[in-house]
Amino acid sequence: MISTGMDGIDDMLGGGIPEGSKVLYSMEPGVDGQLFMISTLHEALAKGRSCLVILPHTTVDAFLHDAENLLGSRLGTSGKTIVFFDAVDRDRIQRYTKDRKTAAREWQGRITKLCTENHIDVIFMYLDVIYDDFGLEGGLGLLPSLQGCDHKPTLIIEHLNFEGENLLMKFIGELGFDLVISIRGSFLPTPHFNLFTIVHASWSPQPKRSVPFLISGGRVVPYIPKIVVTGPPESGKSVFVAHASENGLSVDRRGLSGDTTTVAMDFGWVRRKDFDITLYGTPGQPRFDPMIPVLLKHAIGVVLVIDATKADQIARARYLYRMVTELKVPAVIAANKNDLQGRMSESEIRDGLGIAKDIPVLSISAQRREDVLGVLESLVDFITQFSY
Amino acid sequence: MYAYKTGIPLIDDIGGGFEAGTNILMLAPSMSYAEQLAYALVKPLTGEYTIVLSTNERTAEVIDYFRFAGIDKHSIGVIDAITKSSVPSITDTPRLMFVTSPTDLTGIGIKFSNMIESIFEGTFSQSESGLFPPPIRFCVNSISTLLMYRRLEVLFQFLHVLTTKLKKVEGMGVYTLNSESFDDKTLSLIKQLMNVVIEVKIEGNDNYFRLMGIKGIDADWRKFSVTKGQVALL
Repeated sequence: MISTGMDGIDDMLGGGIPEGSKVLYSMEPGVDGQLFMISTLHEALAKGRSCLVILPHTTVDAFLHDAENLLGSRLGTSGKTIVFFDAVDRDRIQRYTKDRKTAAREWQGRITKLCTENHIDVIFMYLDVIYDDFGLEGGLGLLPSLQGCDHKPTLIIEHLNFEGENLLMKFIGELGFDLVISIRGSFLPTPHFNLFTIVHASWSPQPKRSVPFLISGGRVVPYIPKIVVTGPPESGKSVFVAHASENGLSVDRRGLSGDTTTVAMDFGWVRRKDFDITLYGTPGQPRFDPMIPVLLKHAIGVVLVIDATKADQIARARYLYRMVTELKVPAVIAANKNDLQGRMSESEIRDGLGIAKDIPVLSISAQRREDVLGVLESLVDFITQFSY
Repeated sequence: MYAYKTGIPLIDDIGGGFEAGTNILMLAPSMSYAEQLAYALVKPLTGEYTIVLSTNERTAEVIDYFRFAGIDKHSIGVIDAITKSSVPSITDTPRLMFVTSPTDLTGIGIKFSNMIESIFEGTFSQSESGLFPPPIRFCVNSISTLLMYRRLEVLFQFLHVLTTKLKKVEGMGVYTLNSESFDDKTLSLIKQLMNVVIEVKIEGNDNYFRLMGIKGIDADWRKFSVTKGQVALL
């Protein structure tokens, strides 16, 4: 497998890109998605694969400088593992060839030579200008049918897509691309966010899904804008959010018993499995129930926390779980306080909640951060495999 | 809705200037005052921002033009498609961004979006106008150069994206195009994306413009000059 250089996306793809695949990163105009291709190139080089980069729109020096700025570190260009075909090569061919046919032959000859002489494992091609020069089939035809190389290289293409869905379907259908990722944006004045869609992955039966992403620290970070943590009172929701979060806060009030209870919400932020995740914890007291649908709105996933030592809370948990099921989003059950005596078994919990077999029930102590993060990882897995 | 004043009474007296969301094609022959006229139209007033996509001049020259017109450079952003080809290591700042050549529509589109975003987020410059949406004037100088590098169909689609985005953010755009270098098909295709066309011609040593697409203004030729960013009708 070849890593995309983005762990979250690798996970969604079942580990990365199979060798010899044809991949398209389709960019909507104006969307800051250049890091997808650069990350994959960076990772391929870091793994010692020999790469050919075809960049007819720019020069090698400018490209390397831009890549360094995007990544925050240099591309691993030491040794002979990376070769380029850049704007200077394109200009030279344009200058010395009379027509398109001759120019195409020249391109093919040079690319084949670069592939065979350097035992290229992965070809990275910026298609945009080539599409202008030779058309789509003509442009892809410049690659020596990937036969000139002594083994079939993986092909990764970035393209500025003005033709939308139709072009994507052409890549998947007629051109037989194995992986098509569409990178799009919502160009509203504010807020502004981008998202990627895995439109097609030939080796994975996953349904098409879109995930927002952020560019952070030279990396593409998939973003889960809302996971809601809910459950009966004193089941450990606030502790869960607090222990999960790298940053967070809780709006609590001390009750007559001296214990604190959440009166508005808990809020936290965590990066797990390469996903940036924002957590919202609901209050558990029934008097706050009108707030819960509001907090659940637009949730991508839900953690239902129950106190596994309190069988009398199961009815309340079941009531909350019904609210969650109406959302039709992935949910996991965190059976808290597994470090205490008298806890219910998994089957008792399942029966009590009336949940389907595919809903994970994870026995945890919210006091242990690793348990809490385990629940989130399980939910992220569920989210990335879930058919919304 | 915001109106973009031009300093030209002929335009400003009718509706207070160009309506937000107006995209203007400036058709002009070589060696005319079209560039100065375009820059004069996108010269930012207090509280406004200007973004110039320059395919002909380096950033320093663009900034100099506005500086001579008495404009604070902190309200000017430049996407420079010239300098990086000779200085590959030049680095973007929030107000000055670089692409290697006019070929790189991916880069131009991203820099344009990033600059608009930073204006909306208030990170473009230290001074904020307090107006929302922030008034943004945009100039492409010029479409002619872009057409030399990219196919007409592709450029049409690209300009369609830019003009639409500018409408969404309630900006105003001026796009220069050499009227002598392209056929009627090209001109009419580009005109489809615009609300207003300004034609410029030279007779003797004098420059004239005429406006098309503004209600209440006839399409008569008017003699003009541009001095320090100020347009004068003669």
